[in-house]
Amino acid sequence: MLLDSALTLRTFASELVLLCTILLLLTGDLIFHPRDGRYCLGITLGGLLLAAVAALVFPPLEPGALLLAGLTPDTFTVVVKLLGFFFIALVALLAESEDCCRSQSTALYGALLLVAALVLSILGAASDLVLILLALDFLGVIAYIMTAYERVNPLASEAALKYFLYSATLSAVMLFGFSWLYGATGTTDLAGLHAFLDRGLTSSALPLHVAELEYVILPALIMAGAGFAMKLAAAPFHQWAPDAYQGAPTASAAFIAVIPKLAGLATLVRFTLTALPVATSAHGGDWQALLAALASITMIVGSLGALWQTDLKRLLAYSGVAQVGYLLIGVVVQSSTGVAALLFYLVAYGVASLGIFAAIIAVTGNSTPLSTKISAFAGLHQRAPWVAFSVLVSLLTLIGMPLTAGFLGKFWLFAGALEAGFPWLTVIAVLSNVVSIAYYWKIIHAMYFQQAHSDEPLRISPWLAAALGISVALVLLLGVFPPSGLWTLDFRF
Amino acid sequence: MQFPILSAILVTPLLGALLVLVIPREDVRTIRRVGVAFAVFSLVLATLLWIRVEQLGAGSLQLTERYSWIPAFDIWYSVGADGLSAPLIWLTALLMTLALFYSAHTVEERVKEYYLLFLLLETGLIGVFVALDLVLFYVFWEIGLVPMFLIIGIWGGKRRDYAAIKFFIYTLAGSVFALLAILAIYFNTGTFDIVELARLRPFARDLRWANLAFWGLWLAFAIKVPIFPLHTWLPDAHTEAPTAGSVMLAGVLLKLGAYGMLRIGLPLFPQMFRYYVVDVPILPVLALFSIVYGALVCLAQWDLKRLIAYSSVAHMGYFTLGLCATAVGGTATQAAAASALNGAVWQLFSHGIVTGGMFFLVGMLYERSHTRDLRAFGGLAGQMPVYYGLMLVLALASLGLPGLAGFWSEFFVFRGTAQLLPLAAYIGVLGIVFTAAYILWKVVQHLFLGSLDTTRWAHLPDLTWWEQLTVAPLVVLTVVLGLYPAPLLATFDAAVQTLLRTLF
Repeated sequence: MLLDSALTLRTFASELVLLCTILLLLTGDLIFHPRDGRYCLGITLGGLLLAAVAALVFPPLEPGALLLAGLTPDTFTVVVKLLGFFFIALVALLAESEDCCRSQSTALYGALLLVAALVLSILGAASDLVLILLALDFLGVIAYIMTAYERVNPLASEAALKYFLYSATLSAVMLFGFSWLYGATGTTDLAGLHAFLDRGLTSSALPLHVAELEYVILPALIMAGAGFAMKLAAAPFHQWAPDAYQGAPTASAAFIAVIPKLAGLATLVRFTLTALPVATSAHGGDWQALLAALASITMIVGSLGALWQTDLKRLLAYSGVAQVGYLLIGVVVQSSTGVAALLFYLVAYGVASLGIFAAIIAVTGNSTPLSTKISAFAGLHQRAPWVAFSVLVSLLTLIGMPLTAGFLGKFWLFAGALEAGFPWLTVIAVLSNVVSIAYYWKIIHAMYFQQAHSDEPLRISPWLAAALGISVALVLLLGVFPPSGLWTLDFRF
Repeated sequence: MQFPILSAILVTPLLGALLVLVIPREDVRTIRRVGVAFAVFSLVLATLLWIRVEQLGAGSLQLTERYSWIPAFDIWYSVGADGLSAPLIWLTALLMTLALFYSAHTVEERVKEYYLLFLLLETGLIGVFVALDLVLFYVFWEIGLVPMFLIIGIWGGKRRDYAAIKFFIYTLAGSVFALLAILAIYFNTGTFDIVELARLRPFARDLRWANLAFWGLWLAFAIKVPIFPLHTWLPDAHTEAPTAGSVMLAGVLLKLGAYGMLRIGLPLFPQMFRYYVVDVPILPVLALFSIVYGALVCLAQWDLKRLIAYSSVAHMGYFTLGLCATAVGGTATQAAAASALNGAVWQLFSHGIVTGGMFFLVGMLYERSHTRDLRAFGGLAGQMPVYYGLMLVLALASLGLPGLAGFWSEFFVFRGTAQLLPLAAYIGVLGIVFTAAYILWKVVQHLFLGSLDTTRWAHLPDLTWWEQLTVAPLVVLTVVLGLYPAPLLATFDAAVQTLLRTLF
């Protein structure tokens, strides 16, 4: 018994590390009132690093060894954790350079980020409907707080309220859908659901006939899908995103652009691949077609919406919607390689987005009044050639230029879709990709083809420089020499 | 182990670009010297490559290198050169050297980025000509896109924004469909190897997928060539690009599309080519449209640079026509098919030299006069005799005068086409008539003959030594190739015969 507990605890080493770091950060802030935010940044980054090491050193147990209900830590969990910790560390670097994130207490923002990391690492293992919902909503709460972090800014409050109302409503819808699934099957465990959905087993408590089940399952899946779509900012539940991006402090916007998408996709992948019937079975095609439709609508709406934007953050919000559409292809194909492709492209997207947000902080961070119009980037090429270059690389990877990570990611995703028999989905993706040039071009145009408003060279903080450097290096490195280990990862659910 | 000369050619401009990157922005002289020096290195290597390919036999792919790049997707760094690609690589290196030499005297703005981008462009362009793996081909195809986009957008003319983005979107739209086609081909055959694929003939039995893959590839190549009605990016891009950019666009970038058709389109899908030439004659009709429409637009054009840009549409039409004729050929008509294909390939080389040279000359005139309006000129023959002489040679070569380089492509294309697609040949010949009309009437008469506007142009200086040095090699080549085409023709023919053997 004691041994079992020790084993269980070992599996949660990274979570425990995070928990301790949060306590350290908050109590340290209370006791010492450190004026210098660098200590807080150091503790935050150190905690994340230690947690990542812990996640690697203590690999997940054999399936079934863990007695805790609702959690199934596996390879996928470890990858999600590492990605999440990495992205959050980058966000911490961004936040350190933005005034409003430090205005009250640096420790507070850092603690929020660490809590998000903690939630992410649980969510990566969640294999129970209730736990999935709780984790997603917990992450949502952190995101609302981060959105409204700049209390004096009415835009921020409005954005957070809109985000909250949207999220609360769709969480309710999602919960309703889950309750139907529970009602029909008598279980909230994903593996249990699968046994039921795949083979059409009826639970003894169920008064329904098998033939009537279809009328329960499909609406339930649609409701659940709506919830996932909202978390991901997938169309048609994406309307909160542009306002949230615009109103939130830029570091928070960077967080919203990456972390909820990672969380939503991680849970969606586990949900679809564990609980839902395989695509080749009788009703397996239904949800696959449903997701394919969601992906294509998302790509179309995101691309068309982004075309008209003049604000950098709103443009990134809409383009993020389109990017989620590409990512969803990885879920549609329903295979281990699809998941690997999704994660690879998510790295490309996340790193590139964080790079662009870092540049936004560098350019507009401390200007008053804060303006994130695209014209703020005018002539950036002359004022800060390296910042402009890193944004260019980020944009090119989002467009999917060869020799950047985005190209290989898209290549992999499209290949998966073609192989899984969705040529039309790839055609929509490709067309949306062409449209994306038109709006990403606006930023390139401002940076390289327009004259700067002022000649003075831009000074950027070392934290931002580090974030930009990491982003560019990773995008190029993964694009030219993709690690061969990635393809041997086997994601089995 | 032999010296990896192809990789060396690819890496040389890249090294130059890296070197330019570390030179301080203010040290313009060093940047220019380094840029030109590395272009010259590439040219030397390209010359050595060509000699080596001739020695080893131009009929098959030589000097191949093959290393696994991304094993998970079975993507290889696989390169090689034959009698088709070696001259085109040499052409690229030559035009790049001249372009950078010319720019060293004319470009003052953002010199560092300028040389950096041109050197990157060179790697991308040469890479397309040597790639033997479909994904590698695609990668190089796209790499050239970004530098050219920035070159047009930063150093271009008044409407550079519009021209740059139009160029970018057109090319990328085409190439993403090519990417889907490439993926589909991979799932059908399990390889990206271009040589292997030509043997396997993807989708030989699946007509629906063969159609999709063929048109996906065709779209990418046709936009680049360009073929009517996908040509509309070309006049804008060529007109707005800085002089050296126009030279590279007309001289090399258009050849990428043509080369793609020769290296990938035709060998992989001969049956589709034949179908769309014989059964549903879309391809020859589009080629004829390019020829006749392009020439007619030139007749109506008063902007000299735009006129030459449109003349490229017409001239590349001859290439497409020759390609169509080749696709029709069979074992009985192999001589005619070889003739048409030789003419088409010759057109790639001669058009690069002739039109590249003409874009240089247009740029030089614009530098002096700040206008490209043909109606403003006249009588320049007396004012700028050297300029007149050089332009006359190139213009007459463009018109297809026997004894100059341009003649042989038209001669061979029509010799082959007349036998294989007689109707198309008769209509296509109209293009030659119109070409003669716009060259003689627009270029020669309006620029050089008549009376000089002495109030405006009395002090227009003739070409300086470095301007003459820029254009002279191209003019000399035009004359030499016109008078003695046999050696280059033999090189092309060796590659053409190999290609035809795989087709029939």
